[in-house]
Amino acid sequence: MTDPHVQIDRLVKTYAGASKPSVDNISVSLPRGEMLALLGPSGCGKTTVLRMIAGLIAPTSGAILINGRDISAVPVYKRNMGMVFQAYALFPHMSIAENISFGLEMRGIPKAETEVRVRRALDLVKLSGLGERRVGQLSGGQQQRAAIARSLVIEPELLLLDEPLSNLDAKLRDEMRDEIRDIQERTGVTTIFVTHDQDEALSMADRLAVLSQGRLEQIGTPREIFDRPQTDFVASFIGAGNIVVGNVVEPGVADIQGLGRLQFVGGGRAGIPIRLMVRPHRFVLTNVACNGVNHFSGIVEHIVYRGEIVTLTARSGQAILQADLPTHAGKLPEKGSRVTLAVAPEDVTVIGDGSQ
Amino acid sequence: MSAGFAPPVDKVQRGLLLLLLVPGLFALVVTFLLPILWLFRASFATSAVKALSGTDWSLEAYREVLLDTFYWQVAWNTLILGVSVAAIAVILSFPIALFLVRTQSRWQGVLTALAVAPLLTSSVVRTYGWMVLLGDRGVINSTLQAMSLTSGPIRLANSSFGATVALVEILMPYAILAMLSGFGRLNAQLEEAAAVLGANRFRVFSRIILPLSLPGVLTAALLVFVLAISAYVTPRLIGGGRVFVLGTEVFNEATVTLNWPLAAALSMLLLVLFSSVIVIYQRALRALDR
Repeated sequence: MTDPHVQIDRLVKTYAGASKPSVDNISVSLPRGEMLALLGPSGCGKTTVLRMIAGLIAPTSGAILINGRDISAVPVYKRNMGMVFQAYALFPHMSIAENISFGLEMRGIPKAETEVRVRRALDLVKLSGLGERRVGQLSGGQQQRAAIARSLVIEPELLLLDEPLSNLDAKLRDEMRDEIRDIQERTGVTTIFVTHDQDEALSMADRLAVLSQGRLEQIGTPREIFDRPQTDFVASFIGAGNIVVGNVVEPGVADIQGLGRLQFVGGGRAGIPIRLMVRPHRFVLTNVACNGVNHFSGIVEHIVYRGEIVTLTARSGQAILQADLPTHAGKLPEKGSRVTLAVAPEDVTVIGDGSQ
Repeated sequence: MSAGFAPPVDKVQRGLLLLLLVPGLFALVVTFLLPILWLFRASFATSAVKALSGTDWSLEAYREVLLDTFYWQVAWNTLILGVSVAAIAVILSFPIALFLVRTQSRWQGVLTALAVAPLLTSSVVRTYGWMVLLGDRGVINSTLQAMSLTSGPIRLANSSFGATVALVEILMPYAILAMLSGFGRLNAQLEEAAAVLGANRFRVFSRIILPLSLPGVLTAALLVFVLAISAYVTPRLIGGGRVFVLGTEVFNEATVTLNWPLAAALSMLLLVLFSSVIVIYQRALRALDR
């Protein structure tokens, strides 16, 4: 494997007066050109990590290496980072072009070259011809594009995005999500973005680092995070899930307390306890009204019609199962009706190494 | 475009809206506009009595103001006092206001209140305080003499120097207040954005903090200037009759020599000075906004 472009090594940040660290021993490394999402609920330390990389706050301990060189002592203005703030932080007293050329001016780039680079940056983010506008004359989406252009025009070592889509309305969000990914791929800039939105993280990032209470829970590709969560936190934070506990009766089969037998893909010695998860949308409705391996018959306790799917909870034995089922024009399950839910063994996820 | 979504305002509603303006407008007309107009009329009278009776008009007062070099000197003194007090007060208040806006301290509110607390004391009292400090036998002069640094008293009070010092201190709370309200566009995130883009602290200040705080600085300068050129008590008391500004001369002509037309004409001169500065201020603000 080639040397990583960025290495975050045992990074810790404890704020003065705080009893426990906001960022607790986080290590991540990124190959050049990767887009990494730092995902977690608010207060999990993800923004603190981003700000430490940018140089806006100093780590308590640990190192940030770029191309193998520790930059944690380099002052913010010498780090050559591109950062897009959540509220964009465009300078209100400058035009868009002046905003974009600010970083070049700080680097003493000659005027002629600056003009060319600003124009190219405007083209990149599809704001061609809007350079003379004032910040207030741009829409939210355009302001974000301008902020991205301002960060990229300096050809930064890293592009850092703080909650890039949170200030946009739903429709623009989808558009900017593709746009940001496209710009990142075209420029090849190594990118780290912070988000609390799992859809955003799953759809934009090459890999996700899931954080909780300052600790790194798991890092992996979107599919790894979604289908092979290592911890309960990851399993429940990313998507909904029916998490169940039981004991392995033979390799690939577990006996779930109050539910019955559940077949899964994977080993496990007989007798050991195990934690399993089934995503609600991986249940299917069957016509066979029976209890059997991976077939669970139950009474619908609650049902919500959501257009493309219905979300229902059914009581089977002592367990409550949540299922998202596709809708169709025919008869749908109703509250109080009996349904049988089935799940394929490969859709039963073992959490972590299975132990409790 | 957006007008299409505005609630319809029919004629009755418009009339009601205008009605809301009446009390304020009435107060302004009675307490401000009418007296000014009366003053303007009085400036063309030939004496205080004629100003009251409203007979006998002349341009005598203006002739005196414009031809007597003494009044030119007074106007010039006033302008210099106003400009220097405004400049010094703004320079001294700027760091304080900037600190108060940017501090993360939980004492921010208390510190702000402390910064404007001097307003609780009358400016007359504060002027006397400065006389105690600056007078010929005041604290500063007796200290200097006790240390044998000077043989006799240095003239600190009874001079435009003393008036400037006292006015700066008295008007600084106003400057701080004006700046605090004018610093709305300052934002820590903009400073961070500039730093990430490669600006060191000096450049963050010169390219971000300073330009964004200019509207507040201008407002503070205007306010202090206007208050300084219209000041009477401080220049009169600390100037000890040696500082001649429009404020003291208007008072003199109106109450000592009872030359009301001249006092009115001098007031008009002060008004012209005000208005021209306000025009300059407006232009400067618009230039900042573009």
